[in-house]
Amino acid sequence: MLTVENLHAGYGTSEVLVDISLEVKAGSVVALIGANGAGKTTTMRAISGMLKPNRGRVLLDGRLVQEFDASRIARLGLAHSPEGRKVFGPLSVEDNLLLGAYSRLPRFFGFRARAAADLEGVYALFPRLKERRLQAAGTLSGGEQQMLAIGRALMSKPKVMLLDEPSMGLAPIIVQEVFSTIRRLKETGITLLLVEQFAKSALEVADYAYVMDRGRIVIEGTPAHLREDERVLAAYLG
Amino acid sequence: MYTLLIVQLAVSGALMGMVYALIAYGFQLTFATSKSINFGQGELVMLSALFSLTLIDSGLPYWLVVPGGMLFGVILGLFVERAAVRLSLEQKGEGWILLTIILGLLGFSAAENIWGRDDRPFPTPIPSDPLHFFGIDVTPLELSVAIGVLTVMGLVELFKRKTLLGKAFEAVSADRDAAQLMGISATRTIQLSYGLSGLVAAMAGILVAPITTVGPTMASVLILKAFSVAVVAGLDSGFGVVLIGLFLGALESLTSFYLGSGWREAPGLVLLILALAVRPNGVFGKASIRKV
Ligand SMILES: Nc1ncnc2c1ncn2[C@@H]1O[C@H](COP(=O)(O)OP(=O)(O)OP(=O)(O)O)[C@@H](O)[C@H]1O
Ligand SMILES: [Mg+2]
Repeated sequence: MLTVENLHAGYGTSEVLVDISLEVKAGSVVALIGANGAGKTTTMRAISGMLKPNRGRVLLDGRLVQEFDASRIARLGLAHSPEGRKVFGPLSVEDNLLLGAYSRLPRFFGFRARAAADLEGVYALFPRLKERRLQAAGTLSGGEQQMLAIGRALMSKPKVMLLDEPSMGLAPIIVQEVFSTIRRLKETGITLLLVEQFAKSALEVADYAYVMDRGRIVIEGTPAHLREDERVLAAYLG
Repeated sequence: MYTLLIVQLAVSGALMGMVYALIAYGFQLTFATSKSINFGQGELVMLSALFSLTLIDSGLPYWLVVPGGMLFGVILGLFVERAAVRLSLEQKGEGWILLTIILGLLGFSAAENIWGRDDRPFPTPIPSDPLHFFGIDVTPLELSVAIGVLTVMGLVELFKRKTLLGKAFEAVSADRDAAQLMGISATRTIQLSYGLSGLVAAMAGILVAPITTVGPTMASVLILKAFSVAVVAGLDSGFGVVLIGLFLGALESLTSFYLGSGWREAPGLVLLILALAVRPNGVFGKASIRKV
């Protein structure tokens, strides 16, 4: 569903990503792990068009998208929930969710009715968001903002979802909640590329995983395979 | 009796101040989405007023002149965005500052050549015989300014809150990158904000024209005060510009009564200087104000 081939990208003149290739098959959860600064976020940004790759190809559902603007890639079915959540602080929880579905809703009138069923779906997944639906998103707790960021990405009914460090800055108990949400999404058949610091938990939900180091993919394989790799054990699962 | 005179002056001034508020609101609209403003906005006000005058001269009824002039303002706003702003924002540069100033100067020359240098009256069907409220005289013309300003601002705010496109506008204002990830095109939204900004500027021109007369220089003073109002009120509160606009208008009217009409422009300038002195970074953010 998502294929990245020989991707090179960076900021200004410094190249951060060197020859990244990875694949996320339809209905699978793929984890991308690696130390701080390895280039995981940069990889996601290069895929979603927030950063223009210098070289390489990105295929979304068979379509070459690396030349496109981020908003166009999003409209083609990629939902990127960015590092740091980036909810629209001054807007209400519900408006944030509605905007998640922007690309498939009418622009002026009737968008609420059209989105009602999907809104209920997200509220069923995150009842806390329903309680706070009229509250400004910026006043939510970190955990709630993460739920909102995930819900907002789901609202677009994406073909592929990128989720960058959903557990960042959250208390352990909330982190567990985030992972149980991811497991539930997996049961619904979501196609997901997940970046996580908690490599252990990430490998538990993933079908396949890539390990990055200094801008390159250094190891890849199934979680079972990675758990037996000494380098992975030493660096990430110790 | 004396108090009544003071109130009278304050009220008339405040009603004029609504025009500053509307122009300042136009600055807010583009600043919200793009952190840029059109420094030739005064010329946009003036050109739209002159165009509307031409529509009147050609025999169009007033109720068609208003939307016609506003449409012209939208077109000018879109033109400014395309010609002076878009490329410079794509390169994350500040070129829009100089380019919008230059476009304004071009607009000024164009106006002198097309319409001549003279100030001309702007006929309006709205009467200027005063109405009396509790001993205060207000002309329907002055009232039409206040009503027009509040209506236009109210409609734009309604658009922003009630339609999905309007919410997208707010999303781009809050976080441009995240908005793009929702499939919202930042470029289109900025374009929309310039169109709306042109619309409210044109409306300001049409509303004020019967009071100030129309000519190439009509907006040079107006724009300075609108700028003061925008800087003092901040660039994110539509409610704030109305309050500051009312306040500045009243203050000007009283100043010119007590100190003589030569001092009329002083409060706006003093307010601007104070605002910049108290908030040295200014509301336009650090980078741009240094270069302005
Ligand atoms: N906006 C930027 N400008 C310049 N360099 C950047 C920028 N963002 C990231 N980098 C650099 O790119 C490299 C990779 O950063 P990236 O954020 O992709 O890492 P990461 O794997 O997501 O790390 P973390 O686990 O801390 O989120 C780092 O060396 C970082 O300093
Ligand atoms: Mg990161």
